[in-house]
Amino acid sequence: MMQERVLDWLDERLDLSSLRHFIAEKKVPIHAHEIWYYLGGLTLFLFAIQVASGILLILYYRPSAEEAYESVQFIVSEVQFGWLIRNVHSWSANLLIAVAFAHFFSVFLLKSYRRPRELTWVTGMLLLFLMLGFGFSGYLLPWNELAFFATKVGTGMAGAVPIIGDGLMRVLRGGDDVTGATLSRFYGLHIAILPALTTLLVAGHLLLVQRQGMSVPLEIERRARAGKRIPDMPFFPNYVLRDVLAWYVAIALLAALAAFYPWELGRKADAFAPVPPGIRPEWYFLATFHTLKMLPAYILGIEGEQIGVLGMGAAAAFLVFVPFLDRRVSRGEPSPLFTLIALFGLAYLVVFTIVGHYAE
Amino acid sequence: MSVFLDWLRSILLGSAILTAALAAASPAQAQTGGARAPNECATCHGGLSDAAFVAPAVAFRGGDVHQERGFTCADCHGGDPTVANKDQAKAPETGYTGIPRGTDQIAVCARCHSDAAFMRGFAPRQRVDQASEYAVSVHGIRLAEGDLNVATCASCHGAHGIRTASDARSPVFPTNVAATCASCHSSESHMAGYELPDGSPLPTTQRAEHEMSAHYEALTERNDLSAPTCNDCHGNHGAAPPGVRSVANVCGTCHAVFATKFETSVHSFVFEAGCVECHGNHAIVAPPPEMLGTSEDAVCSQCHGGDDDPGFLGARQMRAGRDRLRDEIARTADLIERARVAGMEVGDEVLALGEVRNHLVLARTEMHAFTPETVQPIIDEGLSMLTEIERAGEDALDELRFRRRGLAVSLGAILLFVVALALKIRQIDRRRLGAAD
Repeated sequence: MMQERVLDWLDERLDLSSLRHFIAEKKVPIHAHEIWYYLGGLTLFLFAIQVASGILLILYYRPSAEEAYESVQFIVSEVQFGWLIRNVHSWSANLLIAVAFAHFFSVFLLKSYRRPRELTWVTGMLLLFLMLGFGFSGYLLPWNELAFFATKVGTGMAGAVPIIGDGLMRVLRGGDDVTGATLSRFYGLHIAILPALTTLLVAGHLLLVQRQGMSVPLEIERRARAGKRIPDMPFFPNYVLRDVLAWYVAIALLAALAAFYPWELGRKADAFAPVPPGIRPEWYFLATFHTLKMLPAYILGIEGEQIGVLGMGAAAAFLVFVPFLDRRVSRGEPSPLFTLIALFGLAYLVVFTIVGHYAE
Repeated sequence: MSVFLDWLRSILLGSAILTAALAAASPAQAQTGGARAPNECATCHGGLSDAAFVAPAVAFRGGDVHQERGFTCADCHGGDPTVANKDQAKAPETGYTGIPRGTDQIAVCARCHSDAAFMRGFAPRQRVDQASEYAVSVHGIRLAEGDLNVATCASCHGAHGIRTASDARSPVFPTNVAATCASCHSSESHMAGYELPDGSPLPTTQRAEHEMSAHYEALTERNDLSAPTCNDCHGNHGAAPPGVRSVANVCGTCHAVFATKFETSVHSFVFEAGCVECHGNHAIVAPPPEMLGTSEDAVCSQCHGGDDDPGFLGARQMRAGRDRLRDEIARTADLIERARVAGMEVGDEVLALGEVRNHLVLARTEMHAFTPETVQPIIDEGLSMLTEIERAGEDALDELRFRRRGLAVSLGAILLFVVALALKIRQIDRRRLGAAD
């Protein structure tokens, strides 16, 4: 009764009838691959957790080389439930990137990027890169030893970009080396620039998904064209409740990880200390890191690292433009070449991440 | 009195050698610039069939510091290096001296190395008192007495192929010093006839003993070039055994606080050989825990015994206090480590533990004053700090248990909600399928 009165009150002022109609009419197709639909919602949910926990961390975090480490130490040891917020933020960041990658590969293999969803794919790819940017910039913020030296290596790789490499590295570091200036820069990037870009892209991505509805696999689409009915379910409440169920499972997993595997703070960064053994980036950069490490010093007279960085840039550009390159699938025909590319990419990431983890 | 007169005579004799050396000739004229004059000595010696004659030329040209700075064979040996004919090159008017031995060798080296103005042109920071130090060393004194068996400059530095002391290939580089000294001092035949002040034969086991020591381990295993080797205690150019009364001063050069505490102790009046009485000399090792106390293997019990002996009681009290602090540190560190491994933030406690460990070191240092009443307050303060750390560690483990209980409750609530949600989904799905039918 109360709910109806509130909705009526809002309706009178905002005219929500079209939205209510949209929600009531929106359907989600049911088929063997529908499970992959939940990854998008889960990614968004984990991003929301990042925003909420990140805002709470900002209340105590101090972004300077002198105070950053101590402020995180204070958060996890003195602030009420600070440990929980920090651990949830760290674990959720990793789960978010894992789920975002799973979402990316599921969309790639199901060819959901085909016409008319090219822009949904492009915004999604840009969002994936932004998530990696969040991971890279956030890793340095506790200002601990591992993060300091890993950032040194990571920003050093930017220096391998031909022509603009040196300038790019200096812009990233805010100077010649990783210092407090880098920390301030990464902090600004992490809490202002990247969130602003992400908000815009998420809004665009969601708008496109809602406007175009869920994509179905190619063979199901063919059956639909042949006049066969595709079973579906109402978006609200049937699909939304399933989404919420997945979110609760994610919350339970996050809570368990935060309580049993707290994110270690390590030792405070010291620019004059010797580089500790086992310096490597976060797991989602291990494959690229290990690839660059394996390249010979020179390939055809050009620096191996430069070729590696160029190759990765080309691969990223290729991925952004996949919908425009895969012409067969746009015509509704199978495109085994792009399936192979996706499978090769998945195998490469898995194998090189594992090898990179165990490499000396 | 006669010993003193002998000593005085030796010093005067040594000084005479030094004066003679300085007056012998002006320093050699090194060719530091421009084209070098031909060195026929090296050319001729390099082509001889006898390896003994070839080796000096090869060594001199193979990285000798003097050769690199423009000195030639003639600067030490005399002769005319510009003449290829052997007889002309070594003619008496050329000042050819042959191989300088004994006091002559000291004089040859001192001609340059004792001339501050000359040395400024090559090694301005190098000392120029080696010859005067040598003159008062045991080696120098014996040489002055005519003993040609003793070490001279070349015995330690080499004759040809001399390198700076900072060159790791030099026989006087810290890691090589022990072997250099041992080339004579470990040789029973070479040392035969030499005696200690008490008349006993001079031992030849010093190097073997030194290799068992903590100092040797620091020098060779940890590459700590500041760790002492022979010359750090005995001197180098002025080599002499540290006299019994000066041992504490020698050890105190590095172990300054220990030496200061020892100076204030009653033992400083009793121990003839200072530090060596308890710690030994060449074979010195890190003091084992049982060294202090009243057990049979403790050094204290070698002199002290019985409950009516204040020294015995003091040793027992200091050992008990130190052992308690050490054991409590280990127990508390284990507690903090458990909390750390479980992911709790205990950085402050780890730092505080370091501070308590410093107290243990302080207590060990204070023990060299042998006054239990000054050791006990340090032990007590350490134990009091440990109580605080232990409380913080227990709090961290309590917090961990609270978190896990909280997690169990939360997971239970989430599980209930998930089950309820699944049932609700099933219900509305059935309702929808029913409506569709």
